[in-house]
Amino acid sequence: MTDQTMAAGRGPSADSGGVKRIDYAPTALNPKPSRRYYIWMMAPSIILLAGISIYPFIWLIYMSLHTVGEVNQPDVWNDFKNFTRFATDGKFHNGWLLLLQYSAMCMALEVGIGVLLAVILNRSKLEKVLVTLILMPMMMAPIITGLVWLFLYNGAFGWYHWLLQSIGILGPTSVLGDSDIAMFGIVAVDVWQWTPLITLITLAGLKRVPQDQLEANMVDGAGPFRNFVSIALPNIYPFLLIAVLLRFMDNFRFIDAILVLTGGGPADATNILPVYLFDVSFQYFKLGRGAAIALTLLLVTIVLGMVLVKLFEDPRRKIKHTGFD
Amino acid sequence: MVAVNIQSVWKYYGKTVAVKDLNLLCRENSFLAILGPSGCGKSSTLRMLAGLEHISAGDIFFGEQRVNMLPPKDRDIAMVFENYALYPHKTVFENMANPLRLRGVDKAEIDRRVKAAAAMLQIDALLDRKPMQLSGGQKQRTAIGRAIVREPKVFLFDEPIAHLDAKLRAHMRGELKHLQRRLETTTIYVTHDQLEAMSMADNIAVMHEGVLQQFGTPSEIYNHPANEWVAGFVGEPPMNFLNCRLELTSEGVVAVHPACRIRLNDAQRRILEEKQAEPDVKLGIRPDNIAYRAGANSGLDIPATVFVTENLGGDMIVEVTLGDDRLTIKTKIGPIANLDDPCTIAFDVSRIHLFSTTTGVAYF
Ligand SMILES: Nc1ncnc2c1ncn2[C@@H]1O[C@H](COP(=O)(O)OP(=O)(O)O)[C@@H](O)[C@H]1O
Ligand SMILES: [Mg+2]
Repeated sequence: MTDQTMAAGRGPSADSGGVKRIDYAPTALNPKPSRRYYIWMMAPSIILLAGISIYPFIWLIYMSLHTVGEVNQPDVWNDFKNFTRFATDGKFHNGWLLLLQYSAMCMALEVGIGVLLAVILNRSKLEKVLVTLILMPMMMAPIITGLVWLFLYNGAFGWYHWLLQSIGILGPTSVLGDSDIAMFGIVAVDVWQWTPLITLITLAGLKRVPQDQLEANMVDGAGPFRNFVSIALPNIYPFLLIAVLLRFMDNFRFIDAILVLTGGGPADATNILPVYLFDVSFQYFKLGRGAAIALTLLLVTIVLGMVLVKLFEDPRRKIKHTGFD
Repeated sequence: MVAVNIQSVWKYYGKTVAVKDLNLLCRENSFLAILGPSGCGKSSTLRMLAGLEHISAGDIFFGEQRVNMLPPKDRDIAMVFENYALYPHKTVFENMANPLRLRGVDKAEIDRRVKAAAAMLQIDALLDRKPMQLSGGQKQRTAIGRAIVREPKVFLFDEPIAHLDAKLRAHMRGELKHLQRRLETTTIYVTHDQLEAMSMADNIAVMHEGVLQQFGTPSEIYNHPANEWVAGFVGEPPMNFLNCRLELTSEGVVAVHPACRIRLNDAQRRILEEKQAEPDVKLGIRPDNIAYRAGANSGLDIPATVFVTENLGGDMIVEVTLGDDRLTIKTKIGPIANLDDPCTIAFDVSRIHLFSTTTGVAYF
């Protein structure tokens, strides 16, 4: 081994006795692909993006600054009135509050149940079959989901209505008719439909948890729960983050099921901001006001999304080893 | 510090049998090596000891306690894994502290013990690093450190130094043995490298295809292999085998090979008679126990021809052709010979082994 390395180092003229000296540098480096090459490669997607995303977005900003006229009427600049009126818009405030409640409840339940299901499924022999079954709600169009649950909640013949009433949880009014309970009603629908997504993503994460680390930790003295928290969780964290982000952004914009189920009622109890936005824009046709609400919603979504990423981003980096001294 | 007793243990993975009826005893505070080629069931055995694998049949005792149903955390063991299995998001300190933290040892004590272990392993300068920033040898020391911070009842090593480079491996062999002597902890060490087993262990258990082939001290395994397989597996370069036929002549018992005749000594003759050996045998002899001289009629008993010579620096490996067989000989360095150069060789008869052709079991 050493013989060979020495010989190789000496180069072709072994009799010179010394190590070959490099007294030159390459005169030209291999060229990198030019910038223009990259621009051409990206052009199609940029053009497509401009058409379907950037153009409407600019229109949105434009509308939010005007009183958008009805058919054949001109748009009128209104000195940011669409925004300033937020201060006095009770439904707008209520919408935000409800949206945050709704999305927090959905998230907590979906992540909790989703991860639990994933952990159970991961050990199961029937994993493949069960995953397919569990995924079914996710495959349904939200409108259809809304209709199905509308039937289930129906005060006259709804099966859940009957069930909840017989075990004494529900009073005489139906789930969606009671302003105290309606919110839980729509949360249940979202949880039913989207928990499988969390399960699926977590399951993918669990598959990548290194078996040897789990075993080492067990030998080190960890029980199943400690093992999950200290080895599996850090490994599925990035996956969970993506799942939570997806769900959180969806909750801020998916209203199909809610429109079918309650339409924001009763007494605005489920009138979360996107529903209110829908009403303003497409029921009352105040497109300028609607655009302003949409913009704030977008802004908050982006900011919250970034906060979430920061918050979840490798929590382990924050744990600083001090050596206890 | 307990004895480890493996009694009639079997391991099935579905239909494949990984361990067959294994009986082993590792005495208190002794160092047992389980040696065998890859796939022979060494890791399965160790994992059953650790509680990471279900014991299909049989019992394992730590001292008086039957541990079959005990989860790993309650067995009071420490294990070093083949690929180290460090926690990538924890520092070296935290990796080593993990077993102590999980057992609720207080912080000052953790700090003291981790630092002591790190000093012993000479990784005290690396405590703040993550495993990714470590070399193979440093990772391996960290993994050992994690095992020794806790003074467990039993150490389990699964090929802990297999992935290190040759020089570091040689160094670590010494270190590990020293460590075991110093800590006086019952140790079971799995390896496919006979050098590791021979140099470190008090006892070696040789396994092949899930079956224990031989249990004994390193010198017993080397000098008195129980069967042809062990004889061929242990020793580097491996033992030579020749198919011979035993004949009783006026000079005594002679092992007859198409190209040579080897007269056995009286002690060997008595053993063969005692064991009622069949006439067809396999003769085994280690490369060090054959003498070699270059040139025709150079003075030794058996004429042969050179196949190839390999220079090892101080020693030389000569392969010679004897009839249809090829023999490996290890000898002091001499002139390089070419293909088909004549030479003479001689066997050290007292170091000959004979094996039954049918069962492979050693007569001596
Ligand atoms: N989890 C497993 N599932 C199925 N077969 C396994 C499993 N682990 C090991 N085996 C089989 O058992 C035999 C022994 O394996 P192992 O104990 O890992 O051998 P070694 O450590 O000696 O290389 C091998 O044939 C291997 O293929
Ligand atoms: Mg193995």
